[in-house]
Amino acid sequence: MDQAYGIFLYIISLLTMGGIYAILALGLNIQFGFTGLFNAGIAGFFVVGAYVSAILTTAPSARHLGGYELPVVVGLVAAMVVSGAIGWIVGRVCIRLRADYLAIATIGIAEILRLILKNETWATNGARGVSMVPKPFETLPEPWNQLGLMALVLSIVAVLYFLLERARTAPWGRVMSAIRENEPAARAAGKNVEAFRIQAFVTGCAVMGLAGGLTAHYLKFIDPNAAEPVTATFLVFVMLIIGGSGNNKGAILGAMLIWTVWSATELVTSRILPDDWAIRSAYMRVFLIGLVLQIVLQRFPGGILPERRLRVAKDKKRYN
Amino acid sequence: MMKSFLRATVAASLVTAGAAGAWAGEIKVGSVAGVTGPIAELVVPIVAGRNLAVKHVNEQGGLLDGDTMKMALVDSQCDPKAGVDAGNKVVNVEQVVAIVGASCSGATNGMVQSVTIPAGVVALSDSATAPSISELKDNDLVFRVAPSDAYQGAALAKLAIDAGFKTLAVTYSNDDYNAGIAEVFAKTYQELGGTLAGNQMHEPNKASYRSELATLARGGAEALAIFAYYGGSGITIIRNSLENDLFGKFMAADGMFDASVLEQIGADTLRGNIFITQSASDYGDSSYKAFADAFTAAGYDPVSPYAAHGYDAAFLIALAIEKAGAADRGKISAALRAVAGPPGTVIRPGEWAKAKAVLAGGGDVNYEGASGNVDFDSNGDVSGIYSVNTVGDDGKWSTKLIE
Amino acid sequence: MMDFINFHLMPGIILGSIYALGGIGISMTFGILRFANFAHGETMTLGAYFAFTLIQLTGWHPIAVLPFAMILTAVVALGIDRVFYKPFRARPAIMLVIASFGMMLMIRSAIQFSWGVQLKSLMPGIQRPYILFDALRISPKHMLIIGSALVLMLAVHVLLSRTKIGKAMRAMADSPELARLTGIDTEMVIRATWVVGASLAAAAGVLLAIDTHVETMMGFKLLLPVFAAAILGGIGRPYGAMAGGLIIGIAEELSSYAWIGNEPLLAPGYKAGVAFAIMVAMLIWRPSGLFRGKVF
Repeated sequence: MDQAYGIFLYIISLLTMGGIYAILALGLNIQFGFTGLFNAGIAGFFVVGAYVSAILTTAPSARHLGGYELPVVVGLVAAMVVSGAIGWIVGRVCIRLRADYLAIATIGIAEILRLILKNETWATNGARGVSMVPKPFETLPEPWNQLGLMALVLSIVAVLYFLLERARTAPWGRVMSAIRENEPAARAAGKNVEAFRIQAFVTGCAVMGLAGGLTAHYLKFIDPNAAEPVTATFLVFVMLIIGGSGNNKGAILGAMLIWTVWSATELVTSRILPDDWAIRSAYMRVFLIGLVLQIVLQRFPGGILPERRLRVAKDKKRYN
Repeated sequence: MMKSFLRATVAASLVTAGAAGAWAGEIKVGSVAGVTGPIAELVVPIVAGRNLAVKHVNEQGGLLDGDTMKMALVDSQCDPKAGVDAGNKVVNVEQVVAIVGASCSGATNGMVQSVTIPAGVVALSDSATAPSISELKDNDLVFRVAPSDAYQGAALAKLAIDAGFKTLAVTYSNDDYNAGIAEVFAKTYQELGGTLAGNQMHEPNKASYRSELATLARGGAEALAIFAYYGGSGITIIRNSLENDLFGKFMAADGMFDASVLEQIGADTLRGNIFITQSASDYGDSSYKAFADAFTAAGYDPVSPYAAHGYDAAFLIALAIEKAGAADRGKISAALRAVAGPPGTVIRPGEWAKAKAVLAGGGDVNYEGASGNVDFDSNGDVSGIYSVNTVGDDGKWSTKLIE
Repeated sequence: MMDFINFHLMPGIILGSIYALGGIGISMTFGILRFANFAHGETMTLGAYFAFTLIQLTGWHPIAVLPFAMILTAVVALGIDRVFYKPFRARPAIMLVIASFGMMLMIRSAIQFSWGVQLKSLMPGIQRPYILFDALRISPKHMLIIGSALVLMLAVHVLLSRTKIGKAMRAMADSPELARLTGIDTEMVIRATWVVGASLAAAAGVLLAIDTHVETMMGFKLLLPVFAAAILGGIGRPYGAMAGGLIIGIAEELSSYAWIGNEPLLAPGYKAGVAFAIMVAMLIWRPSGLFRGKVF
């Protein structure tokens, strides 16, 4: 019984963190999946959102700026606004860059953002992070506290999914895929390509900021290490590509599936491998995850749920 | 595609569920450590310290009715996201009685606040030193055998004054551990009458620190106080300083306490020119000696930051389970306080059979660890004792307790 | 003034030569295979570990084992290309980028698994610098690093300008379609690119290890500055990458020089940001780089 209950709680935690990753993947899907914008600086927009929401909602502390004790909702909205605003600035100057160039530029920007958070100690407590961030529903008894937060995250995922599906099939979404598939044609049709791209970029960044804010509340703590590129940027790309880039359902499925694999493999490898290998098995696990990724990429290049093309774009070449 | 995905999910959950059940006669303790990530090289000896304690317990009668103590190792990557995930795994799936870890302050902060405090599980960290952990409302569930930064920085500052250094330059790595110690050090050193001829943060993991050091050296300091991990930037800083005659004398805290400092720079070069504080005792102390000898015999070097703390943390959890008389999460906190401090028969590292006998007879034990007396204060912190390490004639670190 | 040269300019040049060697490989693979290879940093790490093992086995000087470490790394890179990158040749470049991300994780964990995570050293101990003209300080190993980098860059120059395969590589970096039409064996050129890129990466790793030490994250820490060097020089422009590497290395070190007053111009905590800032600025205002590289 205890065992079953424990696994139930673990599944809640998987769905919560998986849900947060689903939000990140949906944000990336607006940028990369719909519009073809290769944002490799997810970690930057994510961690900015996390700090904004954390600083606005925590109690006063001598270690960092803040003490505003605002409601979590305000923190999350502010996280979206600030991440979106930074996305707008970045978008204004970088949006014309093509795929890989935009990727490298955004990685650089994300690293600069992380350096600012680490160095401006007066505001962020530097490398030591912001602690005692309020967590929604934390006063409820177990398991309702965990179920409450999970429900909050998953309903945000559902609302985002609904909105993005509407956007995708609306004229706005059609313009986006037209730009991605054939930019000159979209331009010739009189569309302001740059403006549409910036809209997609800003929306995606705001969604990533929201995921960051939720993470700060879920962890009750945030520090610059949470913006580590492997788990905050790379993993999101893996989720979207494996789930199916351009497909919102795929983004959600990919996030849940890959997060589960990322987290639960440790429970398996630590058992299969002998005790002396305990530490080495942690290195081996990362190796195996890389290998699985390679195999999926080679065998299922469109992801588990490939993009369903809208009728307007049926025979154009794939994004390159 | 969907069908095979479902099949895979079901198979995976079966494996997880089937594998999760503890074997009869096995008591699990969580071992959360930053195995991958920025301090991977420091974590290896810490985990070895924890495992050595478990080995001692199991060789000398095991827990309670001869149950085997088993560490469930999970990776917290030094990242709060991973720390929370690791906490969830050990608390919920592995169903551990208590947790040793996590390694980094950030991962520990996330793990205890988000998972272990709400779940009512004791977490005893062996290397998280951030002062912010003391301030948590933790229902007496968060303990540390690693002393808070506030103590070591002050101890090193006193040492610097006693050594006669009037002006010092400080360089510290911008991470959660070193930035904290450096801040306390700088403050205490100035209060004690020392002059800081430069105090500079550096970004770890760069290939060269010559330009930073040149700037610091202009202040005319007698020595350089380095707060860094040896692998991240510490060794490079000493090397750059010596090769360019920028600084000749160094002091450091225990992020630098490792045999590789001597291997890489050369013992003869450093002899008489460096001292490093470490929050553990020395060979004159029978607790430290017991640990260090056993650790050496197991093939590890006791000269590693927080390896002694790893041993003490795992041994204390074992004692607490034995004292509680059951693998019951709710009883660990009180039992831990009972076994860690007086009164009671003094137990030293390796003396599991003796402790087990005393507890079986209804007596009290008082564990005196390799890292200090490990008596917890009201925050679950230890005040810490410090040794100073200098280079001995044999080319190895020579450790001496600071009184 | 001598402080400026000894402690800011010289370290910048040393770091810059290492960046330059790494940058050539990134630039060539980007120009010829048309993708940003994120596993390039790990290739450097691998080279340093091969050198470490070779020194353990033979007891030779690091420079003596350098060619062998370069060959071993190139062989591994060819194998990786065959198994993990070749299936994506006809696919969108993003797939290759993601595959190289996965490769980065795999190589790093394989290194951690086989060699462990403890620090290793190629040249233990410290070396006092020679003092020239009473003021200029340079240590033997730094002369070795700069010298080896120069020799390797010269070799790249000879390869690209004098040999058939080198000319084919340059042609393909300029225009893959045109190269194919003129009958260049593109697979052959791709293999040659991997050999050149990986062996130079290995050299960069070994030279960095001579200056500091060997550890599993060393290459990853170099990856972004090296990308910056490649972009600054212009993608597909090996000479550009050499210049870009030197400029980035020097700029990083000079950023914390006290240009105005006695305080560093930029807090050293931000030093790592200099490379990224230069890179982003170049991408925005002159994406073709200093040497008119390709813009896809």
